Amino acid sequence: MYGKGLKPLSIATVAMLALSLSLVFFYAPLDADQGFIQKIFYIHVPLAMVALVGFVVGGAFAILHLRSDDRKWDAYSYVAIHISVIFGVAVLITGAIWAKASWGHWWVWDEPTLVSFLIVFLLYATYYPFRYAIEDRDRQARYASVFAVTAGAFVPLNFMAVRMAESLVHPRTFATADGGLPGEMMLTFLCSLVAIGLLWTTLVKFELTAKSASGQVKRLRRALDAPVSGGGSRIAPEVS
Amino acid sequence: MELLFAAPALPLDEAGKYVAGAYVVFVVLLAVYVAIMAAKLQRIERELREVAAIAEEREETQVAPGRGSETPLASHRSGGGDTHV
Repeated sequence: MYGKGLKPLSIATVAMLALSLSLVFFYAPLDADQGFIQKIFYIHVPLAMVALVGFVVGGAFAILHLRSDDRKWDAYSYVAIHISVIFGVAVLITGAIWAKASWGHWWVWDEPTLVSFLIVFLLYATYYPFRYAIEDRDRQARYASVFAVTAGAFVPLNFMAVRMAESLVHPRTFATADGGLPGEMMLTFLCSLVAIGLLWTTLVKFELTAKSASGQVKRLRRALDAPVSGGGSRIAPEVS
Repeated sequence: MELLFAAPALPLDEAGKYVAGAYVVFVVLLAVYVAIMAAKLQRIERELREVAAIAEEREETQVAPGRGSETPLASHRSGGGDTHV
């Protein structure tokens, strides 16, 4: 019953996204230093934060899978990582656009924040071929979970290392106790963060529901002892 | 690298296209994801229809040979009262 509560969650996500976009463009003041271009902050930073937290959540689900051997947690872990990778793509593209507008370069290789996020993203990009490479479904789930736990532990370590490193151009968000943002900007940012967090949750739930439906159809087919025309997915874990 | 710090804020007409670009990328990614999920749901629906057709076909083939034996039962049921009379 993964679809339970999906409708109100989707409505809340759309409402929150609409509210946060309204706040970004009609309420939040223009940044004194960057001007209008700073509006990218409200999409780029929440996406990055939610993607990184999503990777850690994927690792937590993987721990539950390894402890209980319940395939449900493997599916949760897979979907959490999958959605976070999509968010990661958005982070890299929006960041590159912001960098081009602010610094005149699409990418700065000696900036720790940028390169560290790219490393994390590429690490998780290897999750898919790693998973595809294993035929046996039980081994695939176990190995993928070990990967998710290891990579999930790497994310906060990497984040702390970047915080300790000297930044060249990339600003440190919330480096000070008060967050370093005026009230209107902070409110807008928090709304955007909640909206993106809700979007992540909705997409995870949506994907799990689709996988569950697909799994149920396959079970029905097996029960009817009929040949499967579409064939089962080797990558995506089956959810029943 | 210090030159990067000194770069002035872009004027609104120039910054606008970058901001629009960033938000459009987000919307496009979301739209692509939704389109892929829609295709997946269509496939699930098609498979479900196939399974339903197999189930119905099986039900018909199971009912068909039993019809002959079912008729007396049905008549027995309907005319059960007559036998007792």
